[in-house]
Amino acid sequence: MASAELFGTIGMVDVFLAMALLIVIASFVSLYRGIEGPGIFNRIIAVNVIGTKTIVLLVLIGFIYERPDFFDIALLYAILNFIMTIAATRY
Amino acid sequence: MSDTIINLTNVITVLLLLVGAFFMLAGTIGFVRFPDFYSRMHATGKCDTLGEGLMLVGLIVYGGATFVSVKILFLIMFILLANPTSTHAIAKAAYDVGLEPWRKLDDRVEWLDTGNTDDGRDDQDGGEER
Repeated sequence: MASAELFGTIGMVDVFLAMALLIVIASFVSLYRGIEGPGIFNRIIAVNVIGTKTIVLLVLIGFIYERPDFFDIALLYAILNFIMTIAATRY
Repeated sequence: MSDTIINLTNVITVLLLLVGAFFMLAGTIGFVRFPDFYSRMHATGKCDTLGEGLMLVGLIVYGGATFVSVKILFLIMFILLANPTSTHAIAKAAYDVGLEPWRKLDDRVEWLDTGNTDDGRDDQDGGEER
């Protein structure tokens, strides 16, 4: 499945690695607002956004290393992120 | 898959991944650059949901009709349910605490000059901590 190549030497795994790198860069940019942002609600949003990016990152890692275990971890992480946000906004 | 250099599945996958990554980066830039809590949430709440959905749809197209794709489909459905719900919960919690929304400077000065305090919102608490 992963042996189909796009442009000669660039395989699909390299494209997935580039997308994962973009997501990691976006997560660090969001982390700036999480550290610097005034008030507690900006930090709650930052945690929510980074968790949302982490879900896609986990699915991409599962496709890069061809291990289907990571999709279960991504689903569990989505549920935990949602529950954490609701609990943080209730109290 | 076939051993051609460019087949249709890979092209569709790369296009969906690029569009999804563009939406995610745009949402992140808006999250850093916008002046207010509510407008930051306006930037992240929609762009992240759409970008993540597009990237996962691209990965479904790449993976084909397997059990893994059904799992990612469940993930997309859960995200489309949960992410606007959590955004709404954060916004309602912030509004109940009393964060006032950001408005333009001319509007605020004119509103202060006329002395009209009957604006329909209580504005004295939590104004500094946006």
